[in-house]
Amino acid sequence: MTSTIERPAPVKRRTTAQQSARTGARAAPLFGLPAVAVVALLLYLPFLWTTYVSFTDYDGLASPIWSGLANYKAMFSDPDLTGALVNTLLWVAGMVTLPVVLGLLIAVLTYGHKWGTWLRLPFLLPYAISGVAVGVIWGFVLQPDGALGQMLGFFGLPGAHTGWLQAGPGNTLMMIVAVTWQAAGVNALLFVVGLQSIPAEPLEAARLDGAEGFRMFWHQLWPQLRPITTVVIGLSIVGSLKTFDVVWVMTQGGPGTSSETLALSMYKETFVLNDYGQGAAIALFLSLVTFAASILYLRYQLGDSREQG
Amino acid sequence: MSRVKTPFLVVLGLIWLAPVYLLIVNASKSVDGYDAATVWKPAGFSLFTNFGDAWSKAALGDTLVATTLYSVIAPVLAVLIGAAAGYAIVVLKLKRGFLWFVFIFGGTIFPLQMILMPLFSGYADSGLYDTRVGMIIVYTAISVPFSAFVMRNFFTGIARSVFEAAVVDGGGLFRIFRSIYLPMAGSALAAIFILQATFVWNDLLLGLTLSQSESVRPIMPALTGLQSTYGGAALPTVLAGGLLVSLPTVILFLAAQRFFSRGLALGQF
Repeated sequence: MTSTIERPAPVKRRTTAQQSARTGARAAPLFGLPAVAVVALLLYLPFLWTTYVSFTDYDGLASPIWSGLANYKAMFSDPDLTGALVNTLLWVAGMVTLPVVLGLLIAVLTYGHKWGTWLRLPFLLPYAISGVAVGVIWGFVLQPDGALGQMLGFFGLPGAHTGWLQAGPGNTLMMIVAVTWQAAGVNALLFVVGLQSIPAEPLEAARLDGAEGFRMFWHQLWPQLRPITTVVIGLSIVGSLKTFDVVWVMTQGGPGTSSETLALSMYKETFVLNDYGQGAAIALFLSLVTFAASILYLRYQLGDSREQG
Repeated sequence: MSRVKTPFLVVLGLIWLAPVYLLIVNASKSVDGYDAATVWKPAGFSLFTNFGDAWSKAALGDTLVATTLYSVIAPVLAVLIGAAAGYAIVVLKLKRGFLWFVFIFGGTIFPLQMILMPLFSGYADSGLYDTRVGMIIVYTAISVPFSAFVMRNFFTGIARSVFEAAVVDGGGLFRIFRSIYLPMAGSALAAIFILQATFVWNDLLLGLTLSQSESVRPIMPALTGLQSTYGGAALPTVLAGGLLVSLPTVILFLAAQRFFSRGLALGQF
């Protein structure tokens, strides 16, 4: 194919290049259009419709009727929904502590370790498993008198006959443990990336001065891990606000609504109770909180890519 | 310090592997041989019988074909669309390129909950509900912003002279994209593909909302169906189903660990 192309004469070279650069600028929108079109049609347009519907009374059949802030007021007064709000806050609190602290611990202990990659592998494995599969596995582990109960009984510990998932807020806490099992490894990997970016010389100097163990961590490593910690916490908040899969599989939000999260309430209000307006209000509320949390860490990401061009 | 370090990590690692051990051991028990009181003890090996049961009972077979289609086609489309956008913004110097980029990337910021209801209504009205084409379209759209993000960054690292030389050589803009820029981006394209294929494979919410029949429904919603109907059905079968649907992503993960780490560095999750 290339053999048939004739090189333009040297004299014309510059003008051809300039001309093509101009054609490039003119044709550029054509290459960008498909991306903008799918994103606009399938993400932004639905986003706008949901925003509108959240201020209306709408069952998906008759036309939406404007109802102002009624759906938002219900979110903070309806006991089922305030329960879901509290559970969602529990999820956020749980996910910014347990998997983050564990991830940091695993990262610091394995970083620079001879077998670091191998020692990290058990923690990374659950990350490759879907939320649904995590729910199936932990639903099994947490059965009444199931794997966890039998283990506690074997060691003569109390709680062998606890129904782990049968009452709130205990069921939410146990599901946070299940997701911690899945998420700690990724956080560890992110912290390792952070540790790799710390220059070695100051650490070496501190070590020569006799800094070691916890003191080394607190005074030397921790301050330099601040940017990556922000990213990890931002991602944890965003992820925990969306908690759906694991809860859907393990308890379906029950018993009753005791373990419902807002993401689950949104699904139920919309597709089970046909209260589209209420579902939309929950979705928009979640989006606003997510957006606020995203700003935390997107600053770092977009900041980086902007510098590049 | 280091004398405590290694044993501590090993013990913690073993605790982490315990649920995996329980999954494998109990998914391998025969339905009749399963005893709820002795879940920690291995007993027999009927894993493949249970795989077979899960395959036929939850119609995981049908759904596996559909999910495989989604997780291959949608990421490929998204990679190409995203790469074209990156090419337009960086290489062709699209006017107000950064705005285009922010618009496309902004598609990832809000949660799926925000688009579920309109997609459901829109799909129902347009006949896309419960069709394989509909599923492919939505998975593609979700994957485009990340793909554009990575490709824009990747193309930024390629020298301007490559484009100028190609233009001088008389290639059309589309041909320069297809035969020069795409081949150069092989590793980035693969990284995006792997991450997005994993996302599609693991999706529950979109599948639950936009599909219904066994031949369209993706694998994760199908597995939850198996889980919720196991009142009388056997637990080993459910666990075998859980193991079966996890194998592809775990194998992919182990085979492509460096791509996953790169995705992390790029800020996918």
